[in-house]
Parts: sequence; C-alpha cells; structure tokens
Amino acid sequence: MAVVVKLEPDFSEGSISYNPDGTLNRNETKSTLGPHSRIAAQAAFYAKVKYGARISVASMSGHVANTALQQAMQTCDAEVLHLYNDVLFAGADTLGTAETLKAGISKMEGKMDIVFSGHRASDGETGQTGPQIAWKLGFPFLGHVISYDVNLEKRTITVKRLLSLQGMPDVIEEVEAPLPVFIAIDPSYKHSFDTVSERLTSEKYQREAYERAKNYKDRLQVFNSEKLGVNRGLIGLAGSPTIVYDVQRVPKGKATRHAEVLDGSNPEHIRKAVARMREALSAMVTK
Amino acid sequence: MEKYDVAIIGGGSTGLAALKQLSNLGKQAILLEAGSKIGSKNISGGILYSKKPRKGIVTNVEQVFENFLDDAPFERKITKYILHSTSKDKVYSMDLTAAHDYQANFGYSVLLNKLNSWFAKQAVETAQKFGGGIIPGVHVKSVKWNEDGTAIIQTDELDEFEVKAIIAAGGVNSEIAEMTGARPKFTPMQLYQGVKVIVKLPEKIIDERFGVSSGEGAAHLFAGDVTLNHIGGGFLYTNRNTLSVGAVYHLDSQLRNPTEPYRLIDALLKNPMVSEFIKDNVPVRADIDKSLPQEEQLRIRFAVTKLIKTWYDVRENHLSSNEKDEQAIADIKAKLSFVQEQMTAKYNVTFKTDYVEAEYGAKLIPDGKRCRMKKPFFKNILFAGDAAGRGIFIGPRIEGLNVGIDDGVRAANAVARALDKNDFSESFLGQYYSQSLEESPYTMDMKQIDQDYLKIFLDAARDVPKDIIGSRYGPILKMMSNRTLRGIAVKFANVLGYDKLLPMIESEDTYVKVPIELAERLGKSIPISYSPSILSIADRISKLSYNDDHMPHIKIRDPDSEYMKKMVILCPAKCYSEEGGKIMLQHEGCIDCGTCSQETDWKHPRGEKGVNYQYG
Ligand SMILES: Cc1cc2nc3c(=O)[nH]c(=O)nc-3n(C[C@H](O)[C@H](O)[C@H](O)COP(=O)(O)OP(=O)(O)OC[C@H]3O[C@@H](n4cnc5c(N)ncnc54)[C@H](O)[C@@H]3O)c2cc1C
Ligand code: SF4
Repeated sequence: MAVVVKLEPDFSEGSISYNPDGTLNRNETKSTLGPHSRIAAQAAFYAKVKYGARISVASMSGHVANTALQQAMQTCDAEVLHLYNDVLFAGADTLGTAETLKAGISKMEGKMDIVFSGHRASDGETGQTGPQIAWKLGFPFLGHVISYDVNLEKRTITVKRLLSLQGMPDVIEEVEAPLPVFIAIDPSYKHSFDTVSERLTSEKYQREAYERAKNYKDRLQVFNSEKLGVNRGLIGLAGSPTIVYDVQRVPKGKATRHAEVLDGSNPEHIRKAVARMREALSAMVTK
Repeated sequence: MEKYDVAIIGGGSTGLAALKQLSNLGKQAILLEAGSKIGSKNISGGILYSKKPRKGIVTNVEQVFENFLDDAPFERKITKYILHSTSKDKVYSMDLTAAHDYQANFGYSVLLNKLNSWFAKQAVETAQKFGGGIIPGVHVKSVKWNEDGTAIIQTDELDEFEVKAIIAAGGVNSEIAEMTGARPKFTPMQLYQGVKVIVKLPEKIIDERFGVSSGEGAAHLFAGDVTLNHIGGGFLYTNRNTLSVGAVYHLDSQLRNPTEPYRLIDALLKNPMVSEFIKDNVPVRADIDKSLPQEEQLRIRFAVTKLIKTWYDVRENHLSSNEKDEQAIADIKAKLSFVQEQMTAKYNVTFKTDYVEAEYGAKLIPDGKRCRMKKPFFKNILFAGDAAGRGIFIGPRIEGLNVGIDDGVRAANAVARALDKNDFSESFLGQYYSQSLEESPYTMDMKQIDQDYLKIFLDAARDVPKDIIGSRYGPILKMMSNRTLRGIAVKFANVLGYDKLLPMIESEDTYVKVPIELAERLGKSIPISYSPSILSIADRISKLSYNDDHMPHIKIRDPDSEYMKKMVILCPAKCYSEEGGKIMLQHEGCIDCGTCSQETDWKHPRGEKGVNYQYG
C-alpha cells in the first residue's frame, strides 16, 4: 500500500526563518510532515501491524534532502520512499499534483491495495488532491475515514466515515468496499492495538522503523518528470487549470449576540439569568 | 485469552534488569510500563553504584547489561565525595570519598530518562528472541487469579491476558502491592521525600569548576541550615553537561513541621557554595517595542528565540569534550562570536550571571531499614526494588538503583527456576526468592550497622573539636573511636536494632544542629557574586511536559483530614488548595510523587498520561 504525504513548513518557534523583509524564508525554514499526512501514515501503520502490509511513501516536493520523509518513514515503517522533484512540477494545482502522484504510485512495486492520504494540508490546500488521485488511479474514494478493517479472504475493506453536516449531529457511516481503494483519513482517526501480541508487533516495527529511518536516504528514490514518464501537459503549471484570482482572509462572522454583564453575587441578577435560561430552553423545546 | 510466561509490572531500573536477566536465561517475559516511553516516569539522584561486598554476592549493572561500561549513557564517574556543613555564608567541608569508594567498583552519576531507555533497548533485543518485549503506555490496574493459580493481568489499555508469574517492580507507590494486600501502604515514618532540579552547565565549565578531569565528576552533600530544620539533606551531583541538585527529607519530619518541598530546594540553591557551583552566563532578552506592528513584534520574538537556541547549541559544542580538530574549533569560535554579535547588536540581548534550571521533579524514597517487605511475595507475584521498600539510607548514602537491579535479577532467577519446574507455588517460588533476598548483602545493610563504613565517618571527623559532637554523642563517640570498643559498641547497637537506634542517629542534632555549629565555628566564608533568580513553582510546573488526563488518578478520601491539610504545603506540585476549610485537588499538575497517597485513593495515571520527565 502507499501513503501520499505532504511536506509542510515547520511553523514551530525556533524552526521558522524569515527573510529580512519579514516574509517567510521557505528555503531555511525546516519542512515537517504535515499533521494530516502524519495521521495518514499512522493509519497505514495499522495495516502493517494487523495485516503485515508493505508500505511505500510518496511525496511531491521541492526539497530533495528532506527530514519530513524521514518522519513519515518512522511513523509508518515504510520500506520505500518516493520523492517527485522537478522544476516542471512547480506551480501545480491539485489536479497537476494528482497526475504526478498517480504516475508515481503506478510505478511502485507490487500490487497497491490501499492508498492513504491525509484529509488536507494546513498550508493552503483544498482537500481535492486525494479524490483526484483516486479518480486517476480508478480506485473507489472513501473520505473522512476514522477507522478501518480489512477482510483478507474476501479482499474487502470496511471503513467508518465521520460525516459532519451543517446543523445536524455528526453521523458515523460504515462502508464496505472491494480492494483496491483510496482512503483519505479524517483528523480524528485513531486506532488502538488491544492485545499484547499486537502491541509487541507494533513496538517491534516502530523500533525497526526508527533504525531504518536513520538511513532513510538509502531507501529514497527521486523521480523527475522524465523518469516518471508523465505527460508534461498534465503536470505542473501546464496541467493546472486553477487560477488563484485573489486570496482573502476568511471574513469574521458578524456578532449577533447581545451580551449583558451580570454579577454572580447579586441575587437579582441571578434570578434574571435563570429566567432567561428558562425562556431560551422553552423556546428550544417548542421548536 | 492470550497467554505468556511472565509479566513484569513497571519499567524502572528494577523491572528492566528483571526483563534482561529473564531474557538472558532464555525465558519469555512481557514488561508493562505506564509511562508513554521507558524512562519518562523515573527520577533519581542519582549515583548508580557497582559493589563488591566482602560478604555475599550481588549482581551489578555491568553484569546484567554486558555493554554497560562501553556503551551506556551514564554521566560521570564520581571520584570526589564531599560533605558540607552549612550556616549562612559559612561552609565546613569534610572529604568522604572513602565512604563513596567503600566496597565499590564504581559509582556513576546517571539521569534515568536516558539510562532507563538504554536499559530498555538492551533488554528488548534479547527479550524479543523469546517472544517477549516491552509495552509502554500500559497501566496495570489489577491482578486476578484463575483456579489453577495462573494470574490474569488487567490493564486500562489492553485485553486481559494470562501469565504464570509476575514480577512487581512498580516503584515506591506500587498500587499492586497494596491492592493484592501483599503489604500496606508505606507510612510517612518509612519514607523520605526527594525533590530535585536539573541545572544546565556546559561540560568544560563543570570540569574546571569542580576540579575534575573529563568524564569524572564530583558529589557534594549538604547538611546544616540548608535543611530548614528538617531531618535530611541536600546533594549536588555533576552530570556530563548538567547538575543534579536535590533535597531528601524524612517525610515524618516534613509532616511535623511542613515546609514546601520547593522551598527546601530553593534554600539549597541559595546557599552561597551551591549558587557559585550552578552559576552561568545567561542571555537576557530585551523588551520588545510595543509600538511596532504586531507582525514585527512576532518576527523579533521568533528571531531572538532562534538566535538564543543557536547560541546555546554552539556554546555547548564549544565547551564540550567532543573531539574537534583545530579548524573545527576555530569555526565554532567564529560562529559563536557571530551569533553573540547578532544577539547584542541587532536585538539588544544582554548577558548576566544566573543559573539555568531545566527540570523539576519529586518522588518518595522508601527507607529499607524501616520498610523493606519481610515477605516480598504474594501467590505468584514477587516484589522487587522500591516496590518492596528496599532502599538503603545510611547517612548520606542513598542506594536504590543498584539494590533494585540486584533484586530484579534475584526475582528473575527465581521465576526462571519456577518455569523450569513448572511450579509457581509460594513455597517453591516465593520462599525461594525471599531467601535469596535475605542473603543479599544489601538486606544486611538494611538490618545492621557496618562498623567499617562507620569508621570512615569517625576518621573524617577526627579534626572536629570533641566538644561539638561530644556533648551529644559523647559516650558513643568514645566507644566508636576505640578499635576494640567499636566492635562491642556496634554489636551492642545491632542487638538494640535499627528501630531503637534510628531516632538517636537520624535526629535534628545530626542533620541540623551539629552541622550548623561546625560551620559557624570552623567554616570558611564563601563570597557570593550574584543572587540566582530562582524559578517559581508555577514556572517549574509549566516547564514540565504533561499528557493531561481528564480522569483524576487520585481521590481525596476525607477533605477535612489534618493530613490532607498538610498536603497544601507538602505537595511538591502545589496540586492541593484549601477552600472553605475543605481540601481540593487539581490533579493536572501532579508529578506522581506519592506524598499524598497515605490518605487518598492513589493510583498511577493511566497509560501514557501525566508527567513525562525529560531528564529524570
Ligand atoms: C531524589 C532522589 C535521589 C535518589 N538518589 C539515589 C542515588 O543517588 N542512588 C541510588 O541508587 N538511588 C537513588 N534514589 C533511589 C532510586 O532512584 C530508586 O530506588 C529507583 O529509581 C527505583 O527503581 P524502581 O525500578 O524500583 O522503581 P521506579 O523507578 O519508581 O519505577 C517504577 C516504574 O513502574 C511504573 N509503574 C508503577 N505502577 C505501574 C502499574 N500499575 N502499571 C504499569 N506501570 C507501573 C512506573 O511508571 C515506573 O516507571 C533516589 C531517589 C530519589 C527520588
Ligand atoms: S498530588 Fe500527590 S502525588 Fe501528585 S504531586 Fe501532589 S503530592 Fe505528589
């Protein structure tokens, strides 16, 4: 199986670097495995412990020597690291990125049963890359996955998806799908190993991953567009139909609440507060 | 239900030694540790000894962990051991290196986070071969038994599983010991409260300041006014590039006259000798101009943080013993002055003399003279190390690490023998282990006074005017100073037993009054060049790393009790407060020390929860 990860600038204090003009210095700022990608890598690790899966990690990035890939390797005990690095990839939107990642995944050894991705990245991504890779690979796409289990005999996967609909309580949907699939992992994904034997296996793989990741470059395969054999018209800026017209701050919602300051030691105020709460509650019930 | 041969509860040095030994013997054992990582819950002084007792045999650390001497991350080999009596700015020093060397192969200063992780790495490599291993982040909440006598381990995190035998090495606050009824909770009279801070100091400064060569270190012990009238004392041990500064006080004495544990540490840090030992050159940030735009203020803050971090790293490297050629030294020097220049010129960073505290921690320590388990087993569970109350406390001598390692090996040997015969009965397993502990020279130290060890102190005190000690210990002293009489006196004392003798030796006279008098009359005045800006307890706690648990692991039984009222002062993390005469607990800042356990329903936090020490 494969995990696609995104490398993001590390915004923690001390790691971040600024240019003299105050803008972010991307070259000096360390890159780190994005939190969503980390969860995707953790989810893949679950399959390694439970089903003995073999894992490869794929990423498209401008940095070649990248400690974030090392982190990914450590997290999921991957055996292979793919890095897609080419000036031609630059300027790609989600569709262009998806084409590159699809090409890379298709190049990986062995049969791909599950491809994992994070929910989205924290530095300006829209959650479209995953579905587009799935579409290009021809795999069913399952998003918002919070847990999963594989039936090896039937070659199916059962996942739980967290569906949040505006104004409604969250719903957990269970879906069964034939392998192979592409799953995007929800940020609230969490697995647990409940038996001693699973925990021992997990500890063993984690240790091996840690050792292996020390020399992660031995397992790193770097591809440019030529090596990947991708169609230049479908990648990078050329393959990216999105035009970012303008970036705006998310407007703050106008406050519609009216606050009144009450003094907790004043019985009159307390009575007032209780009356208001009653009123509000009864209104809710009749609705 | 899954089945395994042996479970070890607790991954401190004791449990890890047991796992290594069982694996060395080809047996399968699973070690469960509540902390998220091995070492994250352990704290010590600490000097780890390797001993060569004249009578009896002990298994030392380097015998269980064969690579110890070549590869273990110990700090420094302690070669100086000095006791200081203090009163205000005066200090009277006595060289007790002979006591440190007594029947010892070596004593290394250690930091448990690093050391226990290393032990774990060694143990797991062997354990894995026999289907065993270490599972961190798992808290054992209880043990049940099947009809056939096999034990079922219940945890907060995993499905139940079955084992043939258990080694309980959960430390001084082991709830397993109490829950199974193997022993009652230790009482304050049987315990010491230990508090400690880690102070950062570059390696070469330590070498120079403590007059030791690279890799070697010093231990300084303190009694007198730094004790704030408590029975106990302070210590300062040199690590490679940190100092361990701690205070250890009898809990009974603390209950009689409660003093905040952090104030006891502060008193030690403020002692002129200690202040001078810990001082360093410390960068101080300039206030950021508040009239600047927010982004600019943020940028400055980040830039200064980064520069200071770089400065510490480069300086650390500059003042470390890492092998460097001349070119490398020149490069480091150039970088250091460049960074320093940037700090001062660009961001108005200044430098002052102060100290840098990296970690605060506390833990109870069992006094084996008073609380070692006489029956260290229950059904097929063997208790070892601190869990069995087996700490050695004799004068400045605190030994729990080496005792725990030896206990762990004895427990492992007993379990291996039981596995071979498939007999886990109390008479075959428990009794055998109990007998083995009885034969341990460490048990002897918990039972009897060793006259040769005592003589070292008498020799060291030779120059002390007789009237200072004479008025208090006159007759004893006379007997002890004479070779033939000493034998008789020690025999007589041993007949009396430690119980009767202890109140006399472990008294305010010994730890407070005599040292103060010594310092005042014979001490040298130590000039002080600065006053350390000591961290507040709030700052200390906020520097620690926690994984908060919304479920409290401690429940107060009686919020009106006198004991609990004292916890408002005695909790080293200030978790208790009194509101309207009732005692309230805020468990989030708890550092699992166990001080309040006497009158609470006390458990270790669930797996991975609570405090994580970085040094230990
Ligand atoms: C301030 C201070 C100074 C000291 N100085 C020295 C010194 O100089 N030399 C020396 O030799 N000794 C010294 N000691 C004593 C020494 O540190 C201890 O004796 C030793 O660390 C005890 O080791 P242990 O493995 O028995 O217990 P611990 O180190 O306490 O380990 C017990 C482990 O068990 C785990 N655990 C407990 N219950 C459970 C459960 N139910 N489920 C899962 N896990 C559990 C805990 O998380 C912990 O990691 C000092 C102690 C202190 C506090
Ligand atoms: S709450 Fe109890 S165990 Fe926790 S730090 Fe305070 S005294 Fe120690």
